Amino acid sequence: MPLADALSFVPGLATALAEPAEDAAALQRLAEWCGRYSPWTAPDEADGVRVEITGSAHLWGGERALAADLTARLVRRGVASRVAIADTIGAAWATARFAHAGDNIVILPSGELSAALAPLPVEALRLDPITVQGLRRVGLKQVGDLYAMPRDTLARRFGETVARRLDQALDYMPEPLSPLGEAPSRRVRLSFAEPITEPADLMRATERLTADLVQRLAREGTGARRLDLAFLRVDGRAERIRLGTARPSRDPRHLAALFKERLDTIDPCLGVEDMILAAFAVEPLPPEQIGLPGHAASVETRGIAPLLDRLGNKLGLDALSRLEARESHIPERASVRVPAGLPSPPSLRSGPSPTLRERGDPARSAGWMRAKPPRPIRLFDPPEPVEAFWLLPDDPPFRFTWRRRRHRMTRADGPERIADEWWQPGGSGAADAIRDYYRVEDEEGRRFWLFRSGFHGGDRAPRWFVHGVFS
Amino acid sequence: MIDGARTLLPELRERVRRIERPAATAHGVSPFGVAAIDQTLPGGGLARGALHEIMGMGGDEEDGALAAAFAATIIGRLAASPTSPSHEGMVLWCLLRLDLYGPGLAAHGLDPERVVLVRTSRDAEILWAMEEGLRSPGIVAAVGEVGTLPAVASRRLQLAAERSGVTAFLLRRWREGGQAVRERALPNAAMTRWRVAALPSQPFRGEPGVGRLRWRIDLLRCRGGEPGCWEMEVPDATGHVSLAAALADRPAAPVAPEKLRRTG
Repeated sequence: MPLADALSFVPGLATALAEPAEDAAALQRLAEWCGRYSPWTAPDEADGVRVEITGSAHLWGGERALAADLTARLVRRGVASRVAIADTIGAAWATARFAHAGDNIVILPSGELSAALAPLPVEALRLDPITVQGLRRVGLKQVGDLYAMPRDTLARRFGETVARRLDQALDYMPEPLSPLGEAPSRRVRLSFAEPITEPADLMRATERLTADLVQRLAREGTGARRLDLAFLRVDGRAERIRLGTARPSRDPRHLAALFKERLDTIDPCLGVEDMILAAFAVEPLPPEQIGLPGHAASVETRGIAPLLDRLGNKLGLDALSRLEARESHIPERASVRVPAGLPSPPSLRSGPSPTLRERGDPARSAGWMRAKPPRPIRLFDPPEPVEAFWLLPDDPPFRFTWRRRRHRMTRADGPERIADEWWQPGGSGAADAIRDYYRVEDEEGRRFWLFRSGFHGGDRAPRWFVHGVFS
Repeated sequence: MIDGARTLLPELRERVRRIERPAATAHGVSPFGVAAIDQTLPGGGLARGALHEIMGMGGDEEDGALAAAFAATIIGRLAASPTSPSHEGMVLWCLLRLDLYGPGLAAHGLDPERVVLVRTSRDAEILWAMEEGLRSPGIVAAVGEVGTLPAVASRRLQLAAERSGVTAFLLRRWREGGQAVRERALPNAAMTRWRVAALPSQPFRGEPGVGRLRWRIDLLRCRGGEPGCWEMEVPDATGHVSLAAALADRPAAPVAPEKLRRTG
């Protein structure tokens, strides 16, 4: 019925603009909030939420108690609902929408699916309107009418959807629930009788959850790499803190400290009523040798992994890196940055690690000392263009302007020719790829690493760049 | 009686020194190996477990190349000596721009594989990361390249360094002159304050080309010691850098550069 007709019937009708995007977002939040009952939740079309409560119903004292708790909380939030619990998604969907029950909670006893579904109309099988119309036209009005029909006839006449939905509803065919987000490996939950807002209380709750989780991990001999702490608020929204660690950890103090640093990003608003700590990636972690009280644990056992965790979780894990040598003539490829934390740096390896290079010991860290011509301590990426003036083709510039400062050359070394590595994929032998490097000293004594890209006499004038600054 | 006095006197001197300068060298010192500098510093070397500030001069204030090289030579020696408590630890280097080059560090005596780079977007985060590093086991030195340094933050870093024995270095880098002028004048809680400037190089055995590196090192402020100024030669023939014999130990008089010919 168009709005104009409706208004003519009821002049004082209250109207509001439909906001499907907001509605979908609100349903998503509701599905997330239902995560307090089970990690397997998902929004169901536009007006429902599916929750897989196998294995979690006993935590609430049974299915009826869980459903009662759910309905009560939804009512407090102003949401009218009908809850149906059944063995299959199809049966639960059908019962929630089409069963004529007096109260709002319907629980189908296990194993009585066909009897319970028989009186429901065929719309309860999640079919599209055209198929439903077709079924009604031939006199199949209830689900029970379809039981006796041979499957291939149904498929030939109405497509295979009908048979599939029927089998899914009656548990002849599996239908898994794809949950929102990743399924956690381990989960611990803490519910509060009264919503809490104080940061100190939140911290205490975090410490308790961490201790519980660590106990479970210790029993299994694993450590967590990724953790997610969800705060479910009274108004139905969930705030989260996500953590990653460089190495699997089950140190409760360390994990609690990592959470504590991010705790001020959580806004409890009117109060937090549930907290759920989930571990997503767990890896085997053998028992560790702890130090005796009074003796600090040795560097080898603790290392700097906790420090890397703290820095990485506040600044982002890609803020940390280490330098590794590579065999390459090209300066920017001779030293690469690798993410910190893999593989274990020398100081983290157990056993006697080689001490720092002795003076005059060329065998150690040979990879770094291979470049006989001196290399600068600062390298710019990308190299910065300069305006240079030179006299003869092979000369270094006698004057150049860099970063708005003019430098006059007093001494220079070079050229050192570094060409592109044609044997590497992507390397070319083009003229632009050949650089002539000069170590240039200006009148103050500062030393720069300049290079000329391109040759004289070509179709383009050669360009000069500053690649680095020496000490 | 005389024997007792002989041992008693140095002991008393030590006790008086410890009262006058508490915790100055509680974690030991790292000597430079150059008598002229070591004599000026209290304890005979650079104090470990303390905060040190290093600045550049002129254009180097923006690049921080000399300051980084000076820090690298000190840390290389620090990390190599087996007497420091965590000498097998890593070096935490915090910066805003990733322009530190590994082979350059190696040339100054610091093994780049011992360095963990931390890149942040703000000076305040650099100071926080340094403080975390100073409190952590497994770290032998923490370096931060900062522009603005609140005095309170420097005090915290100094206290954290004293407590843990990890040496902290602040390299000052400024992009604009106004900030440089302001920040240079601000006092802070660093144990020593250095300024490193480049000097025109000395021709190597009369050969043309860039000669031996020469630095002018100014000790602007030293808690419990006198300021000083030295010209150092930094030989790089073998690639290893050691602060060799000081050319001269005279006050900061500008050296008139000789008229240098272009290399042919």
